[in-house]
Amino acid sequence: MPLAAGLRASVRVVVGESDTAPALGSGDVPVLGTPRLLALAEAATVAAVAPQLASGQTTVGTSVTMEHRRASPVGSSLVIEAELTEVDGPRLAFSFVAREEHPRIAREEHPRAQAPGPEVPVTEAPGAPAPGAQAPGAQAPGADAPGGDERVVGAGTIERVVVSRERFLARAAAHHPGPR
Amino acid sequence: MSEIRAEMVANVWQVVAAQGQQVHDGDTLVILESMKMEIPVLAESDGTLTKLAVAEGDVIQEGDLIAVIE
Repeated sequence: MPLAAGLRASVRVVVGESDTAPALGSGDVPVLGTPRLLALAEAATVAAVAPQLASGQTTVGTSVTMEHRRASPVGSSLVIEAELTEVDGPRLAFSFVAREEHPRIAREEHPRAQAPGPEVPVTEAPGAPAPGAQAPGAQAPGADAPGGDERVVGAGTIERVVVSRERFLARAAAHHPGPR
Repeated sequence: MSEIRAEMVANVWQVVAAQGQQVHDGDTLVILESMKMEIPVLAESDGTLTKLAVAEGDVIQEGDLIAVIE
């Protein structure tokens, strides 16, 4: 099957201490860190197209828009689903949505996570849509599913390009030859 | 005379052709890298590559001259 819009994949995670903002160095509130959410979303995009790539090909990320809407304490169970929405030569566009599967299952087990309103700070780029707003073209997979929105932790778009793994690494090494 | 200019900001990854070389329409002259992709710059006509204005490792801006074919 060639690369075509509609390819999907999902990844699941139970938020652990190593996934939190303090562990990642991105914040001081012990909830799922935004960089970790992005990494999970990227993993889903990679998985969505990997089976269709030729031997020696891979994809690398080039652009991201993301809203991190809700905090996920340690123990939260999330599913992050990505969908290939556009193919333009080697350029691939994906949308993704992250949802809680079992909201706040860890509250009793992790009292520290019960701090009132532990919001994950989101740094907005100039001109970015306001938190909670639907970014242009950011229709996430399943975002219109009945009853889905209250569980949405984050959503956004990711662009990747298909490259030759070997040539990509060669170019990277040429730019950064390393210590002499 | 045909001037070939950059269509985007890019790094010059490889210079494939040499100044003074005879080239044909569609020949790869230079390979740029932008947005993590390889982007070949092709000759747009037959002729002699009288000027090659970039070198490997250069960073070029949109509109910068890459090559001249006469």
